[in-house]
Amino acid sequence: MEEKREGVVVVIEKYVSKAFWLILVLPLIGMAQQENVSAYKKRVLESTEVDILSSYYEQTGNNASVTGGIGTEQLTDVAPSIVVSIPLNADDVLSVDVGISTYTSASSSNLNPFDLTRSVGGVSGASNSAPVTNNGYEGVIGSPWVASSGASRQDTWGGITVGYSHSSDSRDQIVSGHASFASEYDYVSVGFGGGYTRLFNEKNTEVSLKGSVYLDTWLPRYPTELDSYLEAGGNLNGGFFNGVDILDADGEVTDKNGSESWHPINGFGLISDKKRNSFALSVSFSQILGKNTQMSLFADVVKQQGWLANPMQRVYFADVDNYFIGNPASIPNYTSAQNTDVFMLAEDMERLPDSRLKVPIGVRLNHYFNEILTVRTYYRYYFDDWGLQSHTASVEVPIKIAQKFTLYPSYRYYTQSQIDYFAPFDSHLSTSAFYTSDFDLSQYDAHQIGFGITYTDIFTKFRTWKFGLKSIDLKYNNYHRTTGLKANYIGIGFKFEMD
Amino acid sequence: MKKIVIALCSLTSLSSCVVLHEYDKVNINDPDMVLADKKLAKFETSYQVYREGASGGNGGKTGGGCGCN
Repeated sequence: MEEKREGVVVVIEKYVSKAFWLILVLPLIGMAQQENVSAYKKRVLESTEVDILSSYYEQTGNNASVTGGIGTEQLTDVAPSIVVSIPLNADDVLSVDVGISTYTSASSSNLNPFDLTRSVGGVSGASNSAPVTNNGYEGVIGSPWVASSGASRQDTWGGITVGYSHSSDSRDQIVSGHASFASEYDYVSVGFGGGYTRLFNEKNTEVSLKGSVYLDTWLPRYPTELDSYLEAGGNLNGGFFNGVDILDADGEVTDKNGSESWHPINGFGLISDKKRNSFALSVSFSQILGKNTQMSLFADVVKQQGWLANPMQRVYFADVDNYFIGNPASIPNYTSAQNTDVFMLAEDMERLPDSRLKVPIGVRLNHYFNEILTVRTYYRYYFDDWGLQSHTASVEVPIKIAQKFTLYPSYRYYTQSQIDYFAPFDSHLSTSAFYTSDFDLSQYDAHQIGFGITYTDIFTKFRTWKFGLKSIDLKYNNYHRTTGLKANYIGIGFKFEMD
Repeated sequence: MKKIVIALCSLTSLSSCVVLHEYDKVNINDPDMVLADKKLAKFETSYQVYREGASGGNGGKTGGGCGCN
């Protein structure tokens, strides 16, 4: 079975680049073949629509990847966005999606766990920090279980996507294109793509092809002790490490001039290739199966190349001695949340192959039972050449409880195997070429229970400026994984239509 | 793989046996029958892509972004 899957991966990889460029060119062929029909036609979009959307997300967990697979994963994220769809004429629609996402992350904050700015007023970095008292211990502290106040504890992602679509006069062909730009403090992404949709069989059948390219660049940030090690030229008495004791696993102060002290494996090297490029080819087939049932089949082939690991994420090895900065008395409790004042120095950052081929294949099946009840189902099988396989199944049951109100109870199940390069905290071997302790890539199951409600203002009675309210969507999800991660999500959306 | 090909061929052949005219599509055109997610669902997709190893599939994000936090 494993050999067959690898065989499929090789064949797909062989043809993906050729097929990708073919898909990008196809829309141009479709455009050239359109008929010149001057008869009356219904506009694809009657008037300008504006969606004002916002979400709040929070999570807790004990497997922070920045601190090597243990530590607080507490995170909150607020993401407002606005989507405007403008009919340029009867056939063409321009859409603009602008959004930001502002997060506060305990895991990310521990890029520099020794940041003590809250305690000593503006001084940061272990060597410059004034000693503090914690549980009777005086000196520099840090912990994977306590959020640091460093700059990396919060960030704002900003992104814009501009899309354009053109429908043929007979409305049986649609050509589309999009371009996107997104930025956050350590990452920039530029994307573009195109698509072609063809409707057959009196529009009972639809085939769609899409290609997308994302050209991303890391502006890498590294765990502070690794970065500082390079800055100090490997001198543990200089720079960040000046005046700071490095402890061994027994809590004894090590001789920083000797070989029996901390050093990252292989001397640590920065990222040489900061690019991360993704090439995605998507195909979908939709079919009306009867007056009340329709389905779609879809598949993507995604090829990623470049630096696919996250340089912020620490890795610890089972076959390498551990060294610490902080309170020696807390070392025996290092993996416990009771540890608030000692931190284990990174032995390396996450390292993963520079290529990944991802293949999701799925199906949707929707059935209209009656004026009150509809059932929406979804299933996806996914595999990639890093050894991860997953199944996703979800069901949503829209219930129209009144002319203007619909309820949306839903359930989603997700399960995945771990990638070949995953091992939990302090259990990798330093002789491996690739390693990660990111629990997002571990084996687990996840369950999501959701509930939504939609208010539809059929006659757009509520008006503001030139816009009338069409609908309000409210959604809540509770998400939990067998790794212990728990999350809550609330989303709200207002849809307006221009007069 | 063979099973997938057979399933695809079987489903494709369905297109030849069902032809609904526009006036028969009242129920199919119900907003809840759309074979795609609502716009609001993009936030759900976003945190699922961050937290899960798998991504993509029918409109889901297939690339771009680091998935760091």
